[in-house]
Amino acid sequence: MSDALQVLLVEDSPGDVRLTREAFREANDRIALHVACDGIEAMAFLRRQGRHEHAPRPDLILLDLNLPKMDGREVLANIKADDDLRLIPVVILTTSESEADIVHSYQLQANCYLTKPVQLDAFENLVKSINDFWLTKAKLPVRRSS
Amino acid sequence: MTATAALAHTERTEAALRASEERYRLLVEGIEDHAIFMLDPNGLVASWNAGARRIKGYAASEIIGRHFSCFFPSAERGRGRPDEILRLTAATGRHEEDGMRVRRDGSQFLSHLTFTAMRDPNGVLVGFSELSHDLTESERSAARYRGLLEAAPDAMVVVDAAGKIVLLNLQAEHQFGYSRDELLGQRITNIIPEGFAERILSDGTRTAAEALAQHIGTGIELSAQRKDETRFPIEIMLSPLLGADGILITAAIRDISVRKAAEAHLEQMREWYRALIETAPDPMVVAKGGEIILVNRQTEVVFGYPRAELVGQSVEMLVPERLRTGDILARLGDIAPGQPLGGLEITGCRKDGTEFQYECSLSPMESPEGTLVTAVIRDLTLRKKAEAHLLAEAQLTRKMEELARSNEELGQFAYVASHDLQEPLRMVASYTQLLAKRYKGKLDADADEFIGFAVDGANRMQRLIQDLLAYSRVGTTREELRNVSAEDALLQALANLQGAIEDAHVEVTHDAMPMVFADPSQLVQLFQNLISNGIKYQASETPRVHVSAAKDTEGRWLFSVEDNGLGIDAQYFERIFGMFQRLHKREEFAGTGIGLAICKKIVEGHGGRISVESEPGRGSTFRFSLGKEGV
Repeated sequence: MSDALQVLLVEDSPGDVRLTREAFREANDRIALHVACDGIEAMAFLRRQGRHEHAPRPDLILLDLNLPKMDGREVLANIKADDDLRLIPVVILTTSESEADIVHSYQLQANCYLTKPVQLDAFENLVKSINDFWLTKAKLPVRRSS
Repeated sequence: MTATAALAHTERTEAALRASEERYRLLVEGIEDHAIFMLDPNGLVASWNAGARRIKGYAASEIIGRHFSCFFPSAERGRGRPDEILRLTAATGRHEEDGMRVRRDGSQFLSHLTFTAMRDPNGVLVGFSELSHDLTESERSAARYRGLLEAAPDAMVVVDAAGKIVLLNLQAEHQFGYSRDELLGQRITNIIPEGFAERILSDGTRTAAEALAQHIGTGIELSAQRKDETRFPIEIMLSPLLGADGILITAAIRDISVRKAAEAHLEQMREWYRALIETAPDPMVVAKGGEIILVNRQTEVVFGYPRAELVGQSVEMLVPERLRTGDILARLGDIAPGQPLGGLEITGCRKDGTEFQYECSLSPMESPEGTLVTAVIRDLTLRKKAEAHLLAEAQLTRKMEELARSNEELGQFAYVASHDLQEPLRMVASYTQLLAKRYKGKLDADADEFIGFAVDGANRMQRLIQDLLAYSRVGTTREELRNVSAEDALLQALANLQGAIEDAHVEVTHDAMPMVFADPSQLVQLFQNLISNGIKYQASETPRVHVSAAKDTEGRWLFSVEDNGLGIDAQYFERIFGMFQRLHKREEFAGTGIGLAICKKIVEGHGGRISVESEPGRGSTFRFSLGKEGV
């Protein structure tokens, strides 16, 4: 597992979580997908707080915008304001096609904005693309040992 | 003639002469306001009349034979004035002077005296006559007259035959703004510039006296001019005054500016009242004893009669024939002055025989010609109609507002619903697809079929929701209309459709497009949907779509999208623009049937119209206009 790619999915919908997990399984079996189902938990995971004391530092964060407790925009702002976390690429993965959300996300220095396709095969292709680009082709900063 | 006869003749003549002389003597002696007496050549008083007695205070017996110098003040006597006067008179025949004289009681008075020398037929001086009168007396009398003149309420001006002012009073000074000295001797035309002189002066056809005679005693209205050149209206009364120098004209001049102003005011009021009645929004009829004597414009309009056909007629002509029973006349007669009667509902009748209900208010008033009744008539049909109209309008407005609100809510609802429906639907669709992918052929045939229906249903529902979302967006997210190039919009639509056009091998052509007033993105969608339809419903070997624009009869741009495709039966022309209306089986042509509904919504949102003309097998032409024009 040490050479596995660590991905944090911040998503409140169990259906989407499962779909994403299934899609990644097909795309790349070296990926370790961790899930936080709201913004608070996402920050706790990233800061290794509470039950996430031993959480790995993710190589990539997939962030939904509409979340309970603390929404994705706030999570994004917190990550990019944190010297330690800001280097981790954040990909927004949401159903919102609103122009305002897209602009706002990039203003908060999201690394990429993707919308969830409706069709299953389109969704699988999208996850595959994420894997191909962010987890395969892109050079990511070297993880510091915890 | 015998001597006797001659003597008798002479005696008769002398007797006649004596009688004549006696008459003169008596006449002279009887005159009281003038002293008339004779002096002998030496100045001794020879006769004395009643006037002399009264003025000088001597009885005849006291004075006859005395020298007339006793009438002079002693100073005059001392320097020989009495004899000097006699000498002057003897030399010139006549002498006139004003001088102080002394009465018997020693008092003095100013006298006007005329001495005449009397000579016999041979020229021998036989004596003098003296005629005198007490100037103090005439001054007093003149003062009385002057007082009268000055107290006159009107300006009085006396003018001589040449038109020069010879006398005037205080009022004249006031009225004309001159002092007396300035006016005396001035021409009358300086203060009464027009009309006066023309009336009283002679011209070629009449003498001054004749001219004056025409105007004596009549009040003439002229305008006068003050010293400061302002003018004012006057009324002038002329009367002749016979003076020593001929006819003088006395003019009594009255300033009538106040009266004129009052008349003008009255006229103005009369005009206002007339206008008030004339422009009243309701018919007004004034009747006397049941006879119409005055109507206003609105009466003509409402009843359809010209004024001339109403005035002089009975008021009964304004009601239908069956009601002309005299009742109305009787009721009019019963109305007492000062007791107006309102709210009478009466059936009226127009000239053309149509009837209408009106409300009538009667106001009687006393006038010198008897009781006049003013009827104000209000057409109730109009009022009722107007009320009904207002009510209907208010209801319509309320309904429109409700409709607009409900439409707005529906639009919002459709947008939110379709958006929020997407999430759970995505789950259903994704997992049925996942199921199909992983388990197809691993369960039994029934399971495969069931999964297939579920996948298909979810997919269709997704498309419906997406189209519904697109449709509701047309209503909720419109941009400001502006002048845009329809050409640009068309080119954008063609670019969006490039793949479909290539796949279907359709030749799409278009004419030059104008500028239009529209929402640019909706215009793109409109072209895109119509062209897309033209591409989709094709059967031709050489499929073609042509887009053109031309001005219609009202000068609006009319766009056409014409294809040579399947065409549509006329009975479906209306239906195809409805929501989710399809003419073909799903297996033949994909789609939810929302495309044309969206087109219709876009076009109507722009205030335009969309229609189709088509014949099955020969293709369809969709035409649309947009409400406003580009420049």
